[in-house]
Parts: sequence; structure tokens; C-alpha cells
Amino acid sequence: MPGTTRSLTLTAKPESLGPVTEFVRKGAREADLPELHTRQLELLIEEILVNIWRYAYPEGGSGTVMVTYSIPRPGEMDLEVGDQGVEFDPLMAAPPDLTLDLSRRPVGGLGVHLLRSFARSLNYRRQRGWNRLSFGISANP
Amino acid sequence: MTIDRSEIGGKVVLHVAGRMDAESASHFEAQCDSCISEGITSLVIDLGDLSYVSSMGLRSFVAIAQKLKSKDGELRICRLTGLARQVFEITRLSQIFPMYDSVESAVLGG
Repeated sequence: MPGTTRSLTLTAKPESLGPVTEFVRKGAREADLPELHTRQLELLIEEILVNIWRYAYPEGGSGTVMVTYSIPRPGEMDLEVGDQGVEFDPLMAAPPDLTLDLSRRPVGGLGVHLLRSFARSLNYRRQRGWNRLSFGISANP
Repeated sequence: MTIDRSEIGGKVVLHVAGRMDAESASHFEAQCDSCISEGITSLVIDLGDLSYVSSMGLRSFVAIAQKLKSKDGELRICRLTGLARQVFEITRLSQIFPMYDSVESAVLGG
């Protein structure tokens, strides 16, 4: 319901993807997000978590990831994903060249592009040892 | 994610259903690799029941398509819908892979 804020803190490891996805799906139901926007939200969360495993905690280990959401109004969610790993701003990544033909296309590099395409008000900040990436998703015009 | 393999009009068709994410994308790639190791050079991928694909899944599509192309074959995709369609369009992979509205038209190609 509007006004609700919830957080989930987990170990930053691939096995956490399922519980985090379930957590934000629950939020999407509370926010009354349509199914397509809920899937977009799941995708945003996955792209961010994969980057955290890869770049914020490159050695593996037992880092933390914290996901927080709030529901400003029906059909909208504001989210923040935080970790205490190596400083890493995914928004600094160069945009991929989407005009390349198949043989010259790199296999990766599309995650941040999807992030920029589906998220609203995407913002990164480094704060007291935390990487904090915030964004919104909205089904409202 | 489930992958069912069938053969239609002499082409191998993989029907992929469910979620293709960081966990499951490697299963899809392994299944395609197994087809390639059998000597198959053209694959039809039916995504009509794929509800979700992330960039980890897209990596697999690009990698497999590049392997097929190097053998003068190709990866044909059909029945994209919902989020999967959006993701392929936003990344312009929909302009790189031959896309079809039905399995039958993908099998025929052209």
C-alpha cells in the first residue's frame, strides 16, 4: 500500500537472486504493478545484482546486499539496491554499439543498457562505504 | 525454464518456456551446444512461452548465433512476446536475428 517501505538484507551471492526476486514481486503486488512492469522490475533487480557479484565483490566472499522499496502511489515503486563492496558505478559503463552486425557484436554489455531503458530516475551514489543505486518503476503515464 | 526439442520440416526446434535468467541461461546454451556438436547448423528457437529473459540470456543467444554463423548456419527466433519481445527490440537483437511470427514460418525461413 502507498507509504509502505520494506527492506531485505542478504548475502551478495547468486543464490540470493530467487529470494530478492520474490521480495520485489511481493512489493509489485502491493503497488498494483501490471505483470509486464513486474517483469521489468525483476529484470532491473537481476541486472543490478549480477553487476554487484561481478564488480563489487569480485573475490566472492560474504558481502552484503540490501534492497529497499517504497510505494509512493499505486502503480509506482521507488527502489534502492545497496552493497558494501568495491566502489562501482554501473552508469559509468560506455553505451554498447547496437548497430554492429552479429559477427562483431560482443556477447555481453547489454545489462546496463536494459537498466537505463526500463528504470526511471536511475541514480548512483557512494555513501559511507556503500554503493547505492536508486531507481523507480512506474506504470503510470 | 524448460526446453523441449522437436524436429519440424527437417529443422530442430527448441521450445523454451519460463524464465531465462542468470541461473538458467547456461542450460539453454548447453542444450544449443549439444545440438551444434551433433552437426546441426540451423536452429529454430520458439520463445512463445518465454516470460522473462535478462542480459545473461541474451549473451547465450549471441554466443550461439555466432557459433552457428561460423558454420554457415543461423539461429531463427519465433513467437517473441511480452518482456522478451521488449528486451530483443531495445537491444536491437531483433534486427540481427531472423525473427518470425510462427514456428512454421521460422522452419521455412526466407
